[in-house]
Amino acid sequence: MTGIAEITGPADQAGTAEEAGTAREGAPGGKAGRLRSRMRRHRGRAALAAVVAVALGLVVWGQLAPKGDNVPLSVSNAGPGGARAVAQILGRHGVEVHDARTHGEAMDALTAGEAPTLLLYDRNGILDADRIKSLTAASTRTVVVSPRFDTLRALDSGVRQAGVVPDGSPALEPGCALPDAQAAGQVNGGSGFVYDGGTTCYRPPGSPAGLLSVSADGRLVVLGSTAVLDNGHLDSMGHAALALRLLGSSADLVWYLPSLGEVAVDGTPRTLGELTPDWARFVGPWLVIVALAAMAWRGRRQGPLVFEPLPVVVQAVETAEGRARLYHDARADEQARDNLRAGTLSRLAASLRLGPGATAEQVTAAAARSLGRPAAEVRELFGEHPRNEARLVAWARELQTLEKEVKSR
Amino acid sequence: MAVSGRFVLLVLLGIVPVLLLPGWGTFFAVAAALAALAGVDAALAGSPRSLRIIRSGAASVTLNARADAGLAIHNDGRRRVRGSFRDGWQPSAGAVNPVQQIDVPAGEGRRATVVLRPVRRGDLKSPHITVRSYGPLLLAARQQTIAAAGSLRVLPPFTSRRHLPSKLQKLRELDGKAAVQIRGAGTEFDSLRDYVRGDDVRSIDWRATARRSAVVVRTWRPERDRRVVMVLDTSRTSAARIDDETRLDTGLEAALLLGVLAERGGDRVDFLAFDRRMRARAGSAGKGNLLGRLVQAMAPLEPELIEMDWAAVPAQVRAATAHRSLVVLLTSLDGGAPEEGLIPAAAQLAAQHTVVVAAVRDPQLGTMLDEREDAAGVFRAAAAERALLQRTAVSAELRRFGVEVVDAEPHQLPPRLADMYIRLKAAGRL
Repeated sequence: MTGIAEITGPADQAGTAEEAGTAREGAPGGKAGRLRSRMRRHRGRAALAAVVAVALGLVVWGQLAPKGDNVPLSVSNAGPGGARAVAQILGRHGVEVHDARTHGEAMDALTAGEAPTLLLYDRNGILDADRIKSLTAASTRTVVVSPRFDTLRALDSGVRQAGVVPDGSPALEPGCALPDAQAAGQVNGGSGFVYDGGTTCYRPPGSPAGLLSVSADGRLVVLGSTAVLDNGHLDSMGHAALALRLLGSSADLVWYLPSLGEVAVDGTPRTLGELTPDWARFVGPWLVIVALAAMAWRGRRQGPLVFEPLPVVVQAVETAEGRARLYHDARADEQARDNLRAGTLSRLAASLRLGPGATAEQVTAAAARSLGRPAAEVRELFGEHPRNEARLVAWARELQTLEKEVKSR
Repeated sequence: MAVSGRFVLLVLLGIVPVLLLPGWGTFFAVAAALAALAGVDAALAGSPRSLRIIRSGAASVTLNARADAGLAIHNDGRRRVRGSFRDGWQPSAGAVNPVQQIDVPAGEGRRATVVLRPVRRGDLKSPHITVRSYGPLLLAARQQTIAAAGSLRVLPPFTSRRHLPSKLQKLRELDGKAAVQIRGAGTEFDSLRDYVRGDDVRSIDWRATARRSAVVVRTWRPERDRRVVMVLDTSRTSAARIDDETRLDTGLEAALLLGVLAERGGDRVDFLAFDRRMRARAGSAGKGNLLGRLVQAMAPLEPELIEMDWAAVPAQVRAATAHRSLVVLLTSLDGGAPEEGLIPAAAQLAAQHTVVVAAVRDPQLGTMLDEREDAAGVFRAAAAERALLQRTAVSAELRRFGVEVVDAEPHQLPPRLADMYIRLKAAGRL
């Protein structure tokens, strides 16, 4: 039946099934022809694979492509939380903005600049006291944005943290004699911090502390809100004016956002490679070799695959079940009724010994006689045309009951 | 080339020098040494190509019985072959121990036995034997597949054999030996014997009684040397599975029982398996016993996915026998269009022969008939009803042409067909 002949030859051990599979396709014309026919057959699948590969590539490229950083208040962050807008505006007004990423860079820029201003936003409290001190010493004026407790203590300027701006009063009036604040007008203090000590401006009602605090010597400005500087809120209220006036007072501005890479550590940590002993490096590769040998041991099949010509097997009842589904899908109530009626009548005729030529009328009459029931009732049952499926089910069961009663007699 | 578990262990041990002298040099040196060791071991192994394999053992076995396939392995090479072989029997041959160890010194031979428990009827094959020959260190082996075609014919099980004693008893009762008297047109005169009480008075032979002082009766026996031709339908409808076996298998069982019974009854039996061409044929005309020839002919039969050529059947029957015979058509009543195929052919045969159509009825149709719990069940019942009505109609049509119909469920078909034969024989219609 199937190609037994293909496996009698000394077939190659590995890939026997593959070989036999292609041989059974029966494509004449050698290997090239077979390859061509296979390519033709898989053309659709190949096109689909290409489309999927291109889409995958685009997604990966999109993920890997460099994006502007998303560090809050970064001068290269164009998002709502960034500060690219204020940096560019300052640049257009002749202020040179030095974007410092590390403490060293910041120090270099400060020493090179002329009466430089430092903007320090250390939201994670990374810098230790020594570095903060060295930075403030090198700068002429320092603007600290939302400093943490540790930072304030390191600055040692008398400015203290005094809680947050109450929820009820987002718009704050300057309320002080500082010209910058006076010129800027209202600012939004929402989710900002307030500071105490020095000259305080933008005080929430009933509080001595304010969103902006300037030390007595004027060299330190503490700003309690990032909203004044970020791209998202720069154009609202007096934010832009306040920002530009605070930061644009000198020709050089050093914009320093300490990053996690600058966390002070004690000595350089040792890598895992340095910690493991020398021989351990070879265990992994050698175990790979052992695994390969084990695969060769267990994976080698002893002899090619053997074919089993499977016979055709069909369930005989499949046709009847298929017809039943057809009846059901087509709602062939009438057809089902006719079948059931005819079948019941023919079996009743046989069990009542009426012979094959008996008419339906004779059968129903004989059945009624046998059961002692009025002939009209039985005739009505056999003459009924069920209106819906529910009635059909009930009617079919009545027929079944009748047949059982006749047979049990 | 193949490696052993021993080689894998050795590779695992190879980690010791690598750890003692860490470095890539040691690493590659140990790996190369192990590879070289395996290579040398495989090269020193006896060549499997030099083996000569001769198969022996049973050529045929009944289904579900045990068969021993013998192998004689001769080593014509110069080196000892030590390792294992695998006999490539197809899965349905049910090889219990296809993989065995061998150790054949040079110039000698060894025997091995593969135990088979076949689970499928037909010709089962083993196209090749694969030998794996290990080297002296048992680290690596050379593997070679040697073409050595083996074949085992699995015969039909003849489970209906259990009905044979009772049917033979019935057949014997027809004979004049027993106290049962049968009168009919087809029975032939056997002998005269004294009247015993209980004999039918109509069977008294008055002439013989007149010659003697005692009352003498005639005895009859059923006619002998009649012909039985069984035609088995191997077309697509025979592939249908009913109750765990195909129609073809049920037909084979029925044909075997009828064939053996008819032979014991003194009749000549011919068996044809036919769809569009002759698939198998056997009969009393050959030598040896009939049952053996029947099962040998039936063993390789498979259902073919083609339509039965009923128009050619009368000619095939005529070729098998020129005389009036009992023609048994083992087929189905519900395949395709019986009014175009089966019925005209049966009617044509019935003009000359006594024709019996034996068909399997699906017991599942009966259970479907009683499923009237919901709408789906009622539609199933209606569909089953329709299938049964069709069968009834075809049976009625066949009977109208004088054809006898045996319509029975799979396990009932062989005994029912045997009963039909005994009835026809008793009635003298053969």
